[in-house]
Amino acid sequence: MSYTRVVAVAALCIGVFNLAPSASASPLDEAAEHYRPYLAEGITAALKGAKTLQTQVAADDLEGAKAAWLSARAGWERSEVFTSGFVPKLDQEIDAWPNATTGFHAIEARLFGTGDVHVKNDVDDLVAHLTELDGTVRKVALTPQGLLNGTAQLAYEVGESKSDGGESRISGTSLDDMRNNIGGIDFAYSTIFAAEIEARDPKLAATARAKIEQLKALVAVKDLTQIDVPTLRNVTEELVVALQSAAPKIGLGPPSLEPTP
Amino acid sequence: MFVRVFSFVAAGLLTGIAIQQAFAFPVGGDQTVLPVGTELNEDAIDLPREVFKSEAIDGRKSYLVNLGDLAFNAPTILGGAARQAGISCASCHVNGASNPKLFVPGMSTHPGTFDTTGPLFNPNADNHTLDAVRIPSLRGARYLAPYGHDGRFASLRDFIRNVIVDEFSGPEPSPAVLDALVAYIQDIDFLPNQNIGLDGKLTSIATEAERRGEALFSKPFPHDPTLSCAACHVPSGAFVDHQQHDVGSGGLFKTPTLVNADFNGPYFHDGRYTTFAQVVAHFDRVYDLGLSSQDRSDLVAYLNAVGDGAQPYERDGSSAEILEINDFSSVLGPAIATHDKDTIALAVDTVGGELRELAERIPDWKDTSVSGGVKERGLARTALKQVVLILRRIDMDATAGRFDDASAAYKSYSYLMAASIPALVSRAEPWSLFTPAVHDAHYAALRQLLQTKNMPQ
Repeated sequence: MSYTRVVAVAALCIGVFNLAPSASASPLDEAAEHYRPYLAEGITAALKGAKTLQTQVAADDLEGAKAAWLSARAGWERSEVFTSGFVPKLDQEIDAWPNATTGFHAIEARLFGTGDVHVKNDVDDLVAHLTELDGTVRKVALTPQGLLNGTAQLAYEVGESKSDGGESRISGTSLDDMRNNIGGIDFAYSTIFAAEIEARDPKLAATARAKIEQLKALVAVKDLTQIDVPTLRNVTEELVVALQSAAPKIGLGPPSLEPTP
Repeated sequence: MFVRVFSFVAAGLLTGIAIQQAFAFPVGGDQTVLPVGTELNEDAIDLPREVFKSEAIDGRKSYLVNLGDLAFNAPTILGGAARQAGISCASCHVNGASNPKLFVPGMSTHPGTFDTTGPLFNPNADNHTLDAVRIPSLRGARYLAPYGHDGRFASLRDFIRNVIVDEFSGPEPSPAVLDALVAYIQDIDFLPNQNIGLDGKLTSIATEAERRGEALFSKPFPHDPTLSCAACHVPSGAFVDHQQHDVGSGGLFKTPTLVNADFNGPYFHDGRYTTFAQVVAHFDRVYDLGLSSQDRSDLVAYLNAVGDGAQPYERDGSSAEILEINDFSSVLGPAIATHDKDTIALAVDTVGGELRELAERIPDWKDTSVSGGVKERGLARTALKQVVLILRRIDMDATAGRFDDASAAYKSYSYLMAASIPALVSRAEPWSLFTPAVHDAHYAALRQLLQTKNMPQ
């Protein structure tokens, strides 16, 4: 999904969700609210994909099921800035790895691995979890600190080696995961933190922006094997360092690097 | 080591005992730089023990040796597919030894061999035939000139440069890095062996069979009295003669050492033999030695004695990893002081990669194949990520010329690595992949997931 399209959707959704922050909210809290529509859109898309997956599975349509899985996955990956920090239990149920007895990867293994479309139970579970998540994202308090944590954690994780094929190796979509993750980081940073950091330290803001642009360029390759892995890793670390430096300047604590479930 | 590469097993090889074997790293899908089925044995619980000459004489490794060790473990001194896949010299020469389990489909003929003139790591050097050579151990390398299986390089320095640039598409290494690599490799010592003493002769603890084997070893060949095993494998000279000979294996090849050779399989330039019995049978056949089966068995006993070494393996664990990481990062002190940006960058990239890998051996909370120790795991992972980021700061500061900041950051880093990191990581170790039960559960889950790819449709 292109950045401008997302912003347009977000603007539309702000009206739809009628989420006016309270008068005492800080600029960061207000900005965090602007992330909500994007997050909601991602989860809604994931849920829609999962429901389509349910239909395709019921119709015994393997190719249709695969396409639906891919579309559900994309929405989920875009939202990962939010998921592990705010809804850890659901995150584990939806995205378990490597012990994928349920969730995306269990379904992936059967659809893309075995070519087996009989995944009804796992898909029903996925729909149930995403439905719960869909409700949660509309109400949950979006703390700027929590979103900073999520952004930093995800950025660090993007730099991990995928030379084993990554988490979504069976469907061959680890590169798509990375692109969606980076898209999510981009949106979160731009919407929530960029303006505040720019106001306090334009040079640091420029650095963070440059790192994100570099990350987007690094994953704009044909396939996973083309990624300049060492450079990607370095840039993700530089981005996280920039976020660490920025945090105190915008009144936040250092971003935590591990989710605390 | 930076790489996390996995080896994927074809359905036909799947057995219940597989967990103990080399399944640790499944490379899955078709979007991997290394071919599916690659086995690097990176997850081995026991690693070759590395003995350094400078430590053996009660000294400490020099800056040069530590820098060389660092470069040896750096994927970024190589290029192309190796760099992409996180391969470094240490991938094949684990702890300066070899890697008898290494196998890359299409590039290896036997485990422990690799085709350095193949299409994967430098297409420009591809000679369009599968002529894999065994990975030699580097123990005692300073005694074992010339270099290369056919002894084509008199100079170790030239040989190393050739490996980096021509075999692995690396950029021209800086003179400093080359010097360091030479220093490091020359510091890798043989494992001590109580079986051989003065002039390479068996000591008093030898068995009768070994002594008979020793006698046979120097006995002139019946059809050519100028030859004997010992004529080329000179016991008083590390069992080499620094020359190339044709012993009926398809060309002139350098006499390889027999010191510590118990752990250097497979044998011969192409790794065709896995046991000394096969090697002895080869010479018996080619030179028509007329050995009885007792003779052969005695020779094998002798070779086992000569090829032995004290404590050839060490259990891998977090403290071993941290010790190595600290040795690598020790180069940062002098490098920051001398404003050596290149060395700083190399150290930050390589050590950061090692720290990331260490963190990955502590499963995150989402890994449902591990239970317990959630708090300990979280604290250890967080601490490791913190030091990775401090290292990154050091590099960012150095690049911008802020060496005072880099120095301050290095102090924080050193302090953390000396105190809290070892403690936190060791506390998390019971729930880490260093612990066999946890390791096996994690990889069983992974294997089960990837097994689906090869199941019949």
